[in-house]
Amino acid sequence: MLTLQIVLSGVLLGGLYACMAISFSVIWGVTGLVNLAHGAMILIGAYFSWWLHVLTGIDPFLTIPLSAGLLFVIGYLLQRYLLERVIRASLIMTLVLTFGLNMVLVNILLQLFSADVRAVTMPYASAALEVGGLRLPWTRIAVFAVALGLTALLHLYMSRTRSGNAIRAVAQNPRAAATLGIDARRVRALAFGIGAGLAGAAGTLMAALYSFSPITGDSFTMKSFVIVLLGGLGSMVGTIVAAVVLGVCENLVSGLGAPGLRDAVSFLMLLAILLARPRGLFGGRHAGEARAR
Amino acid sequence: MFLAEKASACPARSRRRAVFGVAAAILSTAAAWLPSAHAQQQPTITFGAALSLTGRVSTEGRQVKVGYDLYVEEINKRGGIKVGGKPHRVEIKYYDDQSDAATSVRLYEKLINEDGVKLLLGPYSSGITFAASAVTEKYQLPMVAAHAAASNVYARGFKHLFATLTPVDQYTANMIRMASQASPKAQRVALIHENALFPQAAIDAAERQAKAAGLEVVYKEAYPTGTKDFAAMIEAMKARNPDALIAGGYTGDMIVLARQTSEQKVPLKMIGFTLGPTLPGFVEALGPRAENILEPVQWTSDMPWKDEIFGWTAAEYASLCRERLGRECDYHPPQSTAALQVYQRAIERADSLDPKKVRDALAQTNIMTAYGPVRFNEMGQNIAKGMSVVQLQNGKPVVVFPVEGAKARFVYPMTAR
Repeated sequence: MLTLQIVLSGVLLGGLYACMAISFSVIWGVTGLVNLAHGAMILIGAYFSWWLHVLTGIDPFLTIPLSAGLLFVIGYLLQRYLLERVIRASLIMTLVLTFGLNMVLVNILLQLFSADVRAVTMPYASAALEVGGLRLPWTRIAVFAVALGLTALLHLYMSRTRSGNAIRAVAQNPRAAATLGIDARRVRALAFGIGAGLAGAAGTLMAALYSFSPITGDSFTMKSFVIVLLGGLGSMVGTIVAAVVLGVCENLVSGLGAPGLRDAVSFLMLLAILLARPRGLFGGRHAGEARAR
Repeated sequence: MFLAEKASACPARSRRRAVFGVAAAILSTAAAWLPSAHAQQQPTITFGAALSLTGRVSTEGRQVKVGYDLYVEEINKRGGIKVGGKPHRVEIKYYDDQSDAATSVRLYEKLINEDGVKLLLGPYSSGITFAASAVTEKYQLPMVAAHAAASNVYARGFKHLFATLTPVDQYTANMIRMASQASPKAQRVALIHENALFPQAAIDAAERQAKAAGLEVVYKEAYPTGTKDFAAMIEAMKARNPDALIAGGYTGDMIVLARQTSEQKVPLKMIGFTLGPTLPGFVEALGPRAENILEPVQWTSDMPWKDEIFGWTAAEYASLCRERLGRECDYHPPQSTAALQVYQRAIERADSLDPKKVRDALAQTNIMTAYGPVRFNEMGQNIAKGMSVVQLQNGKPVVVFPVEGAKARFVYPMTAR
């Protein structure tokens, strides 16, 4: 029973991981940027929801559209006016720029909100679904459901709409897309905005579960990076599966083995997948390689 | 008309004011010279300290200086320290280590070699004290530190290092005592700590203390720094059915731990964290779920201690300190003041300023300060003063242990969360 409980709570954790990782994956897949400011964007979402909650008492779940919207605008503008400049530069240049961006954002957060640790605890935090000796807190179920819901929405958008198709076209082959009259710069800004918006939503979800301070973002970037590589760049299903697998593995190690090895697990899994299947679990040919050049 | 008159009067007035200003400046310079001329007649004891007055830990570093200065002002007001029948003025030579251990080492070398200081006071933080005390040990000069709780600072067999604060391996002792004295006893104890030096030392000690008190340690695990989610650990812990949880780590981790024990409804009777509940953000982050959580603290103004040198109670000290700092003082200043009082007693007892004799007298220290009693073990740690324990009650930390200083009754078992 303990094992089942631990596995289920790992699955729920995987939902949040998936939301974070997919936002990272969209940006990477479409613009080719490994966004080292990803964690900072998640934190902006978290702080925004926390701030609204402190100001008005609003439930963080209700602020998801707002934090996603805020980050969409920030992301769109950043890509359009800053990151677009290095889109054809070497990988190292893009890393340097997003690394610097990360520092700027973290320091803005430090100025605005100080280094004190924050968290939002709603009165219903202890309410849980109890079935046959299992106990799943509603907050976690909600986070899982919202995270997967957002991912599904993103999937629909990408496959059913014209601009979604344009984004996919640019991801697969920017030159061919351009010959078809797609404005690649606008599309990249749109994709970055969507990715950032999803990061903002993930930040709000994170704030509903964990504590955070301006310096805690980098671990999210790391985790997202590992999950995207595990699942395969460009594969939404792969990312979700990898996120859930990682969540369950981490939980099993912490709950039944040695919690100290928790982080080692994700990196061992990454190492194994890179050796055995460099494209990741579900990695296709396109997205990764279009950008590998 | 009136305005014009006023305007024309202005230059004359400001000239006059300038003359006054110069005169006042000359007078005040002369006045400033007077006491120091006087001081040259009176022998002086000079202590040396490099403090973190700028940089990462400067907030704490400045508080240390407040504690040192409070003592210097008071003792000089009372005629100074008597050595060989003659009262000596007290002075402290300060430097700023910029919160950096390497700089601190350089500055202590400078204090000893260039400024000729023989009696050293400690810097701020375990890490910097660790480095700086190696310098004083090398020159075989005493250092009375006030701000290094990590046990590795004292585990090097140093003979010249002493510290007024309660060391980290005593942090949990009183919480374990409370667990074993509670009724019904908190028999089954779970221990969780971050995989970092300080929390590990505290929680390892808790395990020893719990076993010595006849309690059962049913769960003990470390988690890596940066862990965000404790759900799995808490499930595993819950399955062992603990009565008490004692944990140590970063404040953010403790917030999540407290919340998740509530999410998973672990029926705990008491929760104690080595750090967190009294820090800003903890109560705000957890709301009612922070209620009744315990934290050991070095000192509060509620403590029943009365200084044997100046006659200050802890409360009186707190109000003096508040005047000086401009806000409520935490344990940093009294812990610093105590370091100088320890020195004073040792110098008086040795009746000498010879660092060797002072060192031997320091080892025999047994005094009461507003910060609490001070007595050193062979490693130089203060073993006389335990940690007080505060409990969050209605969102405010109140002392509940030891009972003599307690402002409120220990709420046990804690309210259901």
